[in-house]
Amino acid sequence: MANFDQLSAREIAAGVANGDFTATEVARAALDAVEARDGEVKAFLQVSADLALAAAEATDKARAAGEKLGPLAGVPVAFKDNMHLVGTRTTCASKMLANYESTFTATCVQRMLGAGATPVGKTNMDEFAFGSSTESSAFHPTANPWDTERVPGGSSGGSAAAVAAGEVTVSLGSDTGGSIRQPASLCGVVGLKPTYGAVSRYGVVAFGSSLDQVGPFGRSVEDVALAMNALTAGGRDPWDSTSQPVATDFLAHLNDGVEGRRVGIVPALMEAAGLTDEVRDAVTAAGRALQDQGAELVEVELPNIASAIAAYYVIAPCEAFSNLARFDGVRYGYQEPGQATLAEQTSLSRAHGFGEEAKRRQMLGAYLLSSGTYDKYYYPAQQVRTLITADYARAYEKCDVILMPAAPRTAFKFGEMSDPTQMYASDMFTISNNIVGNGGVSVPLGLGATSGLPVSAQLQGPAFADATLLTFARAIERSNSASDGSGAPVAPAFAGKGGELA
Amino acid sequence: MKKLAEVLKDWEAVIGLEVHTELTTLETKMFCNCRLSHDDEPNTNVCPVCLGMPGALPVPNEKAIESIVMAGLATNCQIMRHSMFYRKHYFYPDMAKNFQTTQGPVAFCMHGQLDLEVSGAGAKERPDSTVEKDADGGYVAPIRILRIHMEEDAAKMVHVGGEEGRIGGAAESLIDYNRCGTPLIELVTEPDLRTPEEARLFMEKLRQTFLTLGISDCSLESGSMRCDGNISLRRRGETKFGTKTEMKNINSFKSLHDALEYEICRQAEVLEEGGIVYQETRHWEPSRRRTVVMRVKETADDYRLFPDPDLAPFDLTDEFIDRCRSRIPELPDAKRDRYMADFGLKRADAAQLAGDPTVAAFFEETLAAAGEKNVETVAKVMVNLVPSYDALTPAQVASLSGLLAEDAITFAQAREVLDAVNGTSEDPAAYVDAHGMRQSTDEGALGAIVDEVLARCTDQVQQYRDGNKKVLGFLVGQCMKAAKGSGNPKAFNKMLAEKLEG
Amino acid sequence: MPLTREDVAGIADYARIALTPEELDEMTAYMNDAVDLLEPIRAYDLEGVEPTFHPIGDLSNVMGEDVPDDAVRHLPVDVALKNAGASRDRSFRVPSILGDQGGDR
Repeated sequence: MANFDQLSAREIAAGVANGDFTATEVARAALDAVEARDGEVKAFLQVSADLALAAAEATDKARAAGEKLGPLAGVPVAFKDNMHLVGTRTTCASKMLANYESTFTATCVQRMLGAGATPVGKTNMDEFAFGSSTESSAFHPTANPWDTERVPGGSSGGSAAAVAAGEVTVSLGSDTGGSIRQPASLCGVVGLKPTYGAVSRYGVVAFGSSLDQVGPFGRSVEDVALAMNALTAGGRDPWDSTSQPVATDFLAHLNDGVEGRRVGIVPALMEAAGLTDEVRDAVTAAGRALQDQGAELVEVELPNIASAIAAYYVIAPCEAFSNLARFDGVRYGYQEPGQATLAEQTSLSRAHGFGEEAKRRQMLGAYLLSSGTYDKYYYPAQQVRTLITADYARAYEKCDVILMPAAPRTAFKFGEMSDPTQMYASDMFTISNNIVGNGGVSVPLGLGATSGLPVSAQLQGPAFADATLLTFARAIERSNSASDGSGAPVAPAFAGKGGELA
Repeated sequence: MKKLAEVLKDWEAVIGLEVHTELTTLETKMFCNCRLSHDDEPNTNVCPVCLGMPGALPVPNEKAIESIVMAGLATNCQIMRHSMFYRKHYFYPDMAKNFQTTQGPVAFCMHGQLDLEVSGAGAKERPDSTVEKDADGGYVAPIRILRIHMEEDAAKMVHVGGEEGRIGGAAESLIDYNRCGTPLIELVTEPDLRTPEEARLFMEKLRQTFLTLGISDCSLESGSMRCDGNISLRRRGETKFGTKTEMKNINSFKSLHDALEYEICRQAEVLEEGGIVYQETRHWEPSRRRTVVMRVKETADDYRLFPDPDLAPFDLTDEFIDRCRSRIPELPDAKRDRYMADFGLKRADAAQLAGDPTVAAFFEETLAAAGEKNVETVAKVMVNLVPSYDALTPAQVASLSGLLAEDAITFAQAREVLDAVNGTSEDPAAYVDAHGMRQSTDEGALGAIVDEVLARCTDQVQQYRDGNKKVLGFLVGQCMKAAKGSGNPKAFNKMLAEKLEG
Repeated sequence: MPLTREDVAGIADYARIALTPEELDEMTAYMNDAVDLLEPIRAYDLEGVEPTFHPIGDLSNVMGEDVPDDAVRHLPVDVALKNAGASRDRSFRVPSILGDQGGDR
């Protein structure tokens, strides 16, 4: 029989529903693949074999009882380790939460499980999602499945790598400044950051509350659409004040044509410093592919986008400082032993529980929010946010989506980017969409002409046009001859290693 | 130290109050659905939100927002259509997130006013002529309210191992998050109060208002209503404010008055001796009748306030505000005026009956049973007798009032009757009859006694006729004695006078 | 004006992050680099521009009902305490607060 890594989420759910194989068989295959592959990839911080098998068994029992199965029945999924799932630890890849037992399950996780998915485990990340390489994990780095000497991107590097290595079919990540789209790009998988509010943040450890958004990774656009249906079909989450209803069937228009529709190109972004030729050429080719399918390319301007990084590095650290203030070693988290006073216990617990980048971001935020400084940086950054939002609104009067790179270059080597502020610039194409809250998707474009590593394009769209983004992403995917139009392949070094459906 | 009256001749006290009121009548906390705790075991009513667990998110309690809008309308505030919640950061474990969710520069309610009627001995505390006083020395003091904002209460901490549960010297502290997240409204006055009596009256009026609205049980003793006072002195005629101190631990109306009185006298002594009043927080010790320093504030606290990104802003609609307005019952001042106009009650009696909503409801029920023709007697009973009893019913008070109105018993006997029926279901009229207490007003039977007494007491009759009218009391007493207590003294009085004058 | 080592020490004190002398040097260098990165924000004339504190702007008046939830989100005390570094009976425990700046709350 086939290896489960060759099946799409739809195929697995259909196979389970038809009785071609059981959810338990798929779960065992996935656990077997993790066993065989993750020693090298290190995408996982925790494998939840018991939960996976219990969920699969429940799915199989439901089928035996004649119940209607969910759209993700038996599909092996992984969750970034900032998402709570009862029965697992939620560590945020930090020493601070090394032993933290989830006390409740995040809405996004619950909805995936409710759709029948099988929870394989929790994936590695940059500590508290601060980073673009997953190197700041307190536990271990994760390797890029396309070249294990290179980073998978970040911060959702484990979720991207697990899908790219074929350890799971779908995974969830969170994106605060590009943390889904950039690792998706570096690992050659599809990664969607939905519109802010489309997916509940309840139960996802917060980094930047006005920027964070949960979204799925898959090897095909269709798998991502299936996951989005599972995440949004339940309506808005009453436990997340910023959650909004998404009345869309993400599969319904997936294969719509793009003829006559307009794709915006921002000339300044295509000439941005740091953008490599192979990425630029691949994005240009993706634009041509859309043109070939009848779409019209139009030039649009985003004049204030150059300030997005600055605005982001005001807003995100401020929100991060505030969100991480709760980690004081009292109710949960690392507690420095043997301290006589609360003040010492708190400041040493935080000093030793947090890694370097987590401390840097909080320090920066604490400074930027201080009285006097607030008016110099924080308030103006939120005004600049208004200008960037207006730029996008004007651009979308002229086009349906905007096509641009997701990451300026392909995966870099471990340790290659050591300066934190240099690392910040790697989010140059993704950050602006978090600033305004719109959706964006990274679409794999095969391997770069120079590096031989995955390259991708990013599509951005107006608020709550995430289904339209997937329509365009599917159009690009369809044109990709390397994968005969059906989605991205599993990284060859790992494809077929373990994971045989018994 | 000098006495208050003496101090206030030379010095003007400038007092502002900050009043925190828990919305104890709600079912649930401010940002989650945990029950409000009253006497529960520690950490009974907790969930991820009020424990500040990572990943938890707040959702504001609609009823709490309605309550604060009602409080604002009842205190003549402007209801601000647009406002936001902010995060106020301080590291202390009684706030589970290490920030308090509160409001920023714009509160739900701004710029209100309550008018205080100051009379009697309390009015004498204010010797100056800046207020217009009536013939009895009473005056009306308009007290402006700066704002009322919505926030959440902190956890309770128990300090173990120190003296009397105080923080100093404690070896450890235990934290109970039951109270954490309880809806709390904070009212801040302008510094318009000038005497301890005004401060006490303001708190009383505020308490009556909130009790009438039904938004809190307003218990200073249990801490559901808490008051901090800011106080400074300046020489009479001076317009600049002096340095203020902040007073904490005020848990009764008497404490509020006494603590302010002490602090005014203390500051006056310091200033008169050429000393400096430091900006500091002081703790009222009721047992020692003094304030002591808790903390010197060298610099203003920097709470790093910024708008909470997890909570959507508010744009209150007219419909919402009108709905809140329609739920406001008749407020004490309006009720007092109605009692004066409709029943001809004296202002002080009407104010006493109208002030406490449970008293007012009792009064109105009693009046309905007794009939409006007896309103004067009912009011007299309510004001003078009822407050001494804890378990009377309106029906009993109505019955008793009827007996008094028809002179069937004396006021002294009324007490005896109430002592007997309090806490029982016995009707006062039945009790009076059963105990032979009903007094006769039958002129035929009483006339014989009067004639007998006049015939017997010739000396006193002569004295009366010579102009000593006081002797009438003696003659009434003789009649009462002869009637063995069953004759009505008023009737004897009337008949004796008629016969002597006739 | 760059942030001094003393400025950064003050922020660390406020943020309850103990830093060694070497860490303080590194942090000071980082903070100044990071603040330089923010300069574009200060170059704008933002007169009359409203801030966007909440993206996807038309959300307002989001509230929940005043109805108790005893079952779904409520945590039993053992679950509430299970991640705590120190607890006693039913309460969370912290060491002596003496000397802590927040001591008057």
